Amino acid sequence: MGTNNGMSDYNLARLNFLIVDDNKHMRALVKSILHALGVKNVLEAGDGADAFKELRHFPADVIISDWNMSPLDGMDFVRMVRTGSDSPNPFVPIIMLTGYTEMNRVMEARDSGVHEFLAKPVSAKKLYSRIRSIIEHPRSFVRAGLYFGPDRRRKTNTNYNGSERRKVGSDQSVTTPGVVSEVAVPEAAAEKPAADSGGGGDGEEEGGMSQDDINALLDM
Amino acid sequence: MADENKPDAAPQFVKPPQTLQNKITKGGPGAVNLAALAKAEAVIENLSDDYLNWVSEDFVRLEAAFNTLKKGAPDDKANIDAMFSIVHDMKGQGGSFGYPLMTQISDLLAGILENSETFGSREHKSMRVYIDAMRVVISHKLKDDGGAEGKQLLMGLTLMRDKG
Repeated sequence: MGTNNGMSDYNLARLNFLIVDDNKHMRALVKSILHALGVKNVLEAGDGADAFKELRHFPADVIISDWNMSPLDGMDFVRMVRTGSDSPNPFVPIIMLTGYTEMNRVMEARDSGVHEFLAKPVSAKKLYSRIRSIIEHPRSFVRAGLYFGPDRRRKTNTNYNGSERRKVGSDQSVTTPGVVSEVAVPEAAAEKPAADSGGGGDGEEEGGMSQDDINALLDM
Repeated sequence: MADENKPDAAPQFVKPPQTLQNKITKGGPGAVNLAALAKAEAVIENLSDDYLNWVSEDFVRLEAAFNTLKKGAPDDKANIDAMFSIVHDMKGQGGSFGYPLMTQISDLLAGILENSETFGSREHKSMRVYIDAMRVVISHKLKDDGGAEGKQLLMGLTLMRDKG
């Protein structure tokens, strides 16, 4: 039986997941969902510092991290993973799973280097949808100023006729991990008008955005 | 600082290793299909019974923090932060475990904790109402939208918030 709803049927059994959340119930919930989706290997950590230690010996393929934790919160953890000189895996895909869903929070998470943003409350479909996005849309990493992380543009606008203000050198791409080249960097989503923040969605918070609106914003 | 980290340095692209994609297969036994998704949702449904026990523990901590706040200084930041942390967790968990009313009420309470500059009797009264509403959700097990009782409860709280 296929998913029949536009979702692709991926086998996740060989992937290693690291769940980072200071709340044991949320960790248990996410772990249970992952196991039900066929994931075998899940490791838990109670905050960013714990998680960073675990990464030294646990080859995570995907990290699912909360934001509001102490002593090291989700944002600091993401920055350590991406730019820390001793980071064991700067390229690992990270899903930020959080109740912070205001637009400025979503953009802050994006600018720290997360791959996907998942608004609590979580459901199996919503979580799988973000995992699927990581599988189906692998992105190059960009080092620009103090930023290092996945390319924040998810779509290439082939109809764009404006000047490429930040273009430096040629449009060559790099094929070797860790080797860099200078390429054109079109405008990031943050520089474009925000998506309509109206609409419903489960768990939408006051002043916050629904998952659909978050996806639309990040897809721009 | 390395040259590539300077704000005016040329942006550089790096192709990450495709370790994740190499471990994925498509279709076949064990692949995520509608049945697997339904199973995963059922897992959440089963955990929702335990949720009321967990949230009751959080609720006790919340009430204790609130009582401390009422007795303390109006700008007791440490206690306000502690309350916000509890409420933020409750907000994230409620809807996840089938109690979206808890998420909505927690959100209203979090709004006061996040946006108020001082915490006097006016704020205390509003917070008391939200905390009491949480107690109703837990004691009456108001799952999903809570039916007529839940809708009435949420409407009253929203009206109260809008009136300021």
